[in-house]
Amino acid sequence: MQDQLSALVAKATPELAALQTRPEFEAAKARYVGPNGELTALMKQMGTVPKEQRPALGKLINETKGRVQVLLDAALAQIEAAELTAQLGPAVDSTLPSPDIGPGTYHPLTLVREEMCRILRKVGFTVADGPEVETEYYCFDALNTPADHPARDEKDTFYFPASSRFANVSKKNPDEKYLLRTHTSSVQIRTMLKGKPPIRIVSPGRVYRRDTTDATHSANFHQLECLYVDKNVTVRDLKALLDYIFASLLGKDTKTRFRPHYFGYTEPSFEVDLSATHLPKVKKPWIEIGGCGMVDPTVFADVGYDPEVWSGYAFGMGLERLAMLLYGIDDIRYFYQNDLRFLKQFA
Amino acid sequence: MKISLNWLNDYVALAGVSNDEISRAITFLGFEVEGIINTGAPKLDLVVVGEILTRTKVPNPKKEISLCTVDVGPAGGVKSIVCGAHNCDPGRRVPVALPGAVLPGDFKITQSKKYGHESQGMMCGPDEIGLPAGNGLLILDGSPALGTPINAVLPPGDTVFDIEITPNRPDCQSHLGIARELAAWFKLPLLYPQEKFRGLPVDVASRPDLLASVRVESPEDCPLYTAHVITGVKIGPSPEWLQRRLTAVGLRPINNVVDVGNYVMLETGQPLHAFDARKLGGASIVVRRATEGEKLTTLDSKERALSASMLVIADAQKPVVVAGIMGGVDSGVSADTTDLVIECAIFKKQSIRATSRRLALSSDSSYRYERGVDSHATLENAYRAIDLIIETAGGQVVGPAFTVGSDVPWQREIVVTHDFITEKLGFDIPAADMRAAFEALELTITREEPTVHPARGPAWTVGIPSWRDDLDRPIDLVEEVLRLYGTEKIPATVVSSPGLVGDDDPIVLFNRRVTDYLVGHDFHECVNYTLRPAKEIAAWCTAPAATELALANPFTEDQSHLRPTLITGLLESLKLNQSRGVAASRLCETGRVFIEHNGQNLECAAVAFVMAEPVNDRSWLKREPADFYAAKHHVGALAAAAGIDFARQPLTSVVAPTFGWQTGHAATAGQIQFGGWSASFGLVDLALAKSLGLEGKIYAGIFAILPAKISGDATRRRFAEFSLLPAALRDLALVVDAATTSTEVQKTLAKLARAAVGNAFALESVSVFDVYAGQGMPEGKKSLAFSFVFRAADRTLTDDEVNAAFNKIQDEVAKTTAWQIRK
Repeated sequence: MQDQLSALVAKATPELAALQTRPEFEAAKARYVGPNGELTALMKQMGTVPKEQRPALGKLINETKGRVQVLLDAALAQIEAAELTAQLGPAVDSTLPSPDIGPGTYHPLTLVREEMCRILRKVGFTVADGPEVETEYYCFDALNTPADHPARDEKDTFYFPASSRFANVSKKNPDEKYLLRTHTSSVQIRTMLKGKPPIRIVSPGRVYRRDTTDATHSANFHQLECLYVDKNVTVRDLKALLDYIFASLLGKDTKTRFRPHYFGYTEPSFEVDLSATHLPKVKKPWIEIGGCGMVDPTVFADVGYDPEVWSGYAFGMGLERLAMLLYGIDDIRYFYQNDLRFLKQFA
Repeated sequence: MKISLNWLNDYVALAGVSNDEISRAITFLGFEVEGIINTGAPKLDLVVVGEILTRTKVPNPKKEISLCTVDVGPAGGVKSIVCGAHNCDPGRRVPVALPGAVLPGDFKITQSKKYGHESQGMMCGPDEIGLPAGNGLLILDGSPALGTPINAVLPPGDTVFDIEITPNRPDCQSHLGIARELAAWFKLPLLYPQEKFRGLPVDVASRPDLLASVRVESPEDCPLYTAHVITGVKIGPSPEWLQRRLTAVGLRPINNVVDVGNYVMLETGQPLHAFDARKLGGASIVVRRATEGEKLTTLDSKERALSASMLVIADAQKPVVVAGIMGGVDSGVSADTTDLVIECAIFKKQSIRATSRRLALSSDSSYRYERGVDSHATLENAYRAIDLIIETAGGQVVGPAFTVGSDVPWQREIVVTHDFITEKLGFDIPAADMRAAFEALELTITREEPTVHPARGPAWTVGIPSWRDDLDRPIDLVEEVLRLYGTEKIPATVVSSPGLVGDDDPIVLFNRRVTDYLVGHDFHECVNYTLRPAKEIAAWCTAPAATELALANPFTEDQSHLRPTLITGLLESLKLNQSRGVAASRLCETGRVFIEHNGQNLECAAVAFVMAEPVNDRSWLKREPADFYAAKHHVGALAAAAGIDFARQPLTSVVAPTFGWQTGHAATAGQIQFGGWSASFGLVDLALAKSLGLEGKIYAGIFAILPAKISGDATRRRFAEFSLLPAALRDLALVVDAATTSTEVQKTLAKLARAAVGNAFALESVSVFDVYAGQGMPEGKKSLAFSFVFRAADRTLTDDEVNAAFNKIQDEVAKTTAWQIRK
């Protein structure tokens, strides 16, 4: 009996180790430990063994059973490992490029606009929006633009025929003409008319000028304007905002300066220069970046805000111009061609 | 406007101020310096007057070379100089640069050997000493003393500032205006020109034969008209100083009378006009509107057809000047003119501007009238011109003189307090400084009194001079104080930002969400023009819609219409990349589109994308190209970003040629005019794409929505319970007509299944998982296979109850539909 058990282990060891597939394994398992298996058969002989030998033999049988199980487990593990390996196929060449396209990219104007909005959001400006088709009232009248101001000229502004109707762009006066807004300041007017002070908005958006397209001009371009209306808003607050914006955008060493200027809807008005020493392709110490000023009392009166109570500032700039300065782009037309070699540079 | 520094010095002593400081002052006073031009010779050391004594030719095959002896005065003696100029003739006095001199362009003069001869300096042409180029050496006239430093001999140089004047400051369209600003900035006195002529003397001779009458028929266009007569003038070139000043600021000298007119305009901002008195028919001047069709040939030799809205200066018969804009060729001053009528008038801005536009004719005069001329200095400026004409052309003033229209006395006062200015600025400027700023700008303080609250500083009553019509309110004076205080001195502070409730506009949130989505799915965001050519949009909207989208005044033909879709722009971007050999496949854009409905346009927010098959795809591993269902998937995600549950929306397949989409391979959903949104997606019409020169199949999608319909502040979602117990699944395959849509079948099955399970448990979903047509399927039929998911919230479903329900569903299908169940 003892010899038979040893012989069984000796036979099973190479046989089980050589198993390749699951059916082979199942068959072998049945041959040894199945109901009709060899080991099972030997165990059944226990009854014929003299009583005094039974404990020793029982122990031996259990040991053998344990050894066979170890062999079976090892064989199964080996088969499972082989099965996993079979799923893999040959090893990859990790240096081959991925055939997938991408990643996607944001347009540089979006990147600059969103960065500006994030910076302004931190000091409480929310983004406002308004129609691109506007009326003479919202684009000019409400902004204190004289009736014969050149900006209203058909030479400079796109108009729609008197018969045109835009169902979801409200008119102030029934006989005013529709036009394409020349600045996003019309959003300020709509926001003030719709809401109540205090107001703190930034309005980025597309604007239109009837102009020859060249390296620095485009029939449509984008502006970004800020409006803050509250009590006791001062010139100093306006300067602080500009300092904050450009220090956030370009680093703490960036300085701004105001030059007195004239705009119809602010008083006093300023042009804003930016210290340009660390901007690419700028060879001047200062570069003009936008216009700003304290909201003119006339504008407040026109939207029904008491100019004795409310004060405020407005700031506006061109987004293309800012993007061109930040990235060192020297032709505005690149923004509208969408050459992927351009678009992929800014992601 | 071009401003000459020499000229400014007549009114304000800027001699000790550097050009940089002046430029900076102009800038911070609020005028942009667009350019600085230096004229004349710079300061030159060791360049002196010399006289050529002898000239000997030096043999040289290429160029005429001379060896000269040159006397440079007692200090330098006689020098031997090699010269290549043609005009180094003995007896001429010329500039001589001695060794050690440095000429413009950092050109150092040394004693050296030239063409085999020692040369002890260089004789100079005008360009070599910084003057406009001439021919050969600069010959010095008038025998200046030998050895005199050259700067003492040459006319002084000038600096010309090219300044942009803002429209609110017409007073600064003149040298006096700018001088006034600089005098205020540098705290220097301003010297006005003093007129000698102060009106007609009592005993003056009267010459009604030269000018008998002045009649203003259109006083609303011409509130003030003055005319003076000067006889016995002699027309000739202006004196050198006058010519030099006009030349410096870019004007061409004509003759003494015309030049004086221009000079006084550039000095004071008041345009003037001089007539040859003998050419005025009927010895009369009539200021009137032109009659329709009247003609006048202006000084630029162009015949102008006048209309009834245009103001002219006419004589008894005909128009002779387009008022305030340009004179006629026939009435102007010519070489034989002896008697003049000097016009100095005020014309209404709007009238000049309208006429200038209609005639497409502008001049320095019309430019100033359009911006506004101070009507309270008109007579004085006329006197100034009379003085200068008599000085430069002789003659004398005779009667009669005419002043038509009223010079309404000017008076304007603004009351402003120190406290008000401080409150607007946000920082304190001492009251004395504010006062000084007003006075420096000739804003006279007529009263100063304490305010109710003494700590808040005084209240001033400020008199506004007539030339500062732009100052009308206390806030306007805040700017004046700040300008002179210096905007560079605004103290820094931090942004204070009290919290305001509110979020970004729903359109902004929508654009951000969809752009994030598309960029996250490997799309490249594009930006295209809103204005498109008519022929491009014709493929994407109806002809009446295209008419509604047209601009009244397009600038170019290819930008004449508002875009009804974003897809045309994206196709153009694809094309650009393809034609440049740049691989481009997935592009997207957000922006406004304009959708016409019943003759009205609707401005919509939109997002679109295109997915093109890669052209010449040479990738080592092929990927499946995008298809209709990819486009559908993306459109659904974009709609969700606007709060639209796309899965619940009925779709309309494109079954006939429809705006840019391929029949049978595209679909639309929603309609702007009803639900406020619309979507189209699928394959771009193959023939259209081909006609655009695009290669390969292009799948695209667009979602547009009225801004007001974007649900921005969606109510917060509530959590819904779900069962943790296992689901029971059943599959059902049906043979249906090929034209039957899967949605139609799915909806019917869902209805039947819900009826079958009743309240016993729940039908969780019915979804199609296989579509088959072809071999084994009858012609015109297809197989659709659906998977049913059943689940109960409170127990594991038994096979029996699920089978019972499933059998009921199959019975109902057999009974109520034309579909065959595949067993």
